[in-house]
Amino acid sequence: MRILMFIVFVSLVAAGPTGATVVDETAIDVQTREIAKTLRCTVCQTENLWESGAPLAHQMREVIRERLRQGQTPEEIRAYFLSRYGEYILMEPPKRGINWFIWIGPFLLLSLGGYLLYRELRRWVTPPPSEEGHPPPLDEASQKRIEQELRSRV
Amino acid sequence: MSRSTQVIITGILLALLVLFYQGLWGDPKHIPTVLIGTSAPEFQGPDVESGELISLSQFHGKVIVLNFWASWCQECKTEHENLLRLHARFRNHPDFVMLGVNYQDEPEAARTYLRLYGSSFRHVRDIKGTVAIDYGVYGVPETFVIDREGIIRYKWVGPLVGEIFTHFTQQVLLPLLNSRQSTPT
Repeated sequence: MRILMFIVFVSLVAAGPTGATVVDETAIDVQTREIAKTLRCTVCQTENLWESGAPLAHQMREVIRERLRQGQTPEEIRAYFLSRYGEYILMEPPKRGINWFIWIGPFLLLSLGGYLLYRELRRWVTPPPSEEGHPPPLDEASQKRIEQELRSRV
Repeated sequence: MSRSTQVIITGILLALLVLFYQGLWGDPKHIPTVLIGTSAPEFQGPDVESGELISLSQFHGKVIVLNFWASWCQECKTEHENLLRLHARFRNHPDFVMLGVNYQDEPEAARTYLRLYGSSFRHVRDIKGTVAIDYGVYGVPETFVIDREGIIRYKWVGPLVGEIFTHFTQQVLLPLLNSRQSTPT
């Protein structure tokens, strides 16, 4: 029995995969997805490579997969696509030059909108001066009339 | 709010709108290629007709017109006659080579297309689309010109027709062919 178990064990070890040569397809799929999501489908414009159903996007995903199998890093693969298509291929424009407008633009607009809203709301909730206990200054005629009234009552 | 502040804010808003418009709906045809002035990527593939392997490096030292096309592409049909005309004009020049790259196509459909519309130069099959990706191709037709040193000198996205064809022939190809005496082959 022991001999039989030993033979089974040896056979399993011999037939089993050697870690160094096995390509982990699941890991490659995950990496392919992560890289493809950061690259733009060049024929559908507003979709990334992962979501696009265009034949070119499919071929580009295959290129990513193949390069991952060859041992290239995600950065190297992105650099390859960048060298072929320029910055247009990137879903996120790099943070430099005029691209800063795109990155900080929404925050600028939000701040500006917030400021304008604050100013408008403040104007709405601030009571008019007459209701605040500071009556407007009297004109000369009214002032004289009040003084006359006061004198007549004394 | 002062007038100058209003002008600045309007300027920022317009700049943002232009950038967003360009990013979302800009036509990739008008994006300048990053490949101009770089080495033409090497490729190898079977001839559409004969199946014989063709590689770019075998034409080193020549001025190469590389045209990406497909049988399902309507715009390719509009430029096809011009391509044949171009080849007929320069085919006897010792430094001139014209190559087609058949992209995302069925072999039989490509052969039928060439029989129907005529073919006087060789065409390579880009089976997995890797040649097109290496050349940063967005869609067909696209035409590249590679100089004698193997550097990409020109790229046109769209059909070579009308004024573009004249410009391509007179301003791009002829100067390159005339730039040096032909190399002995």
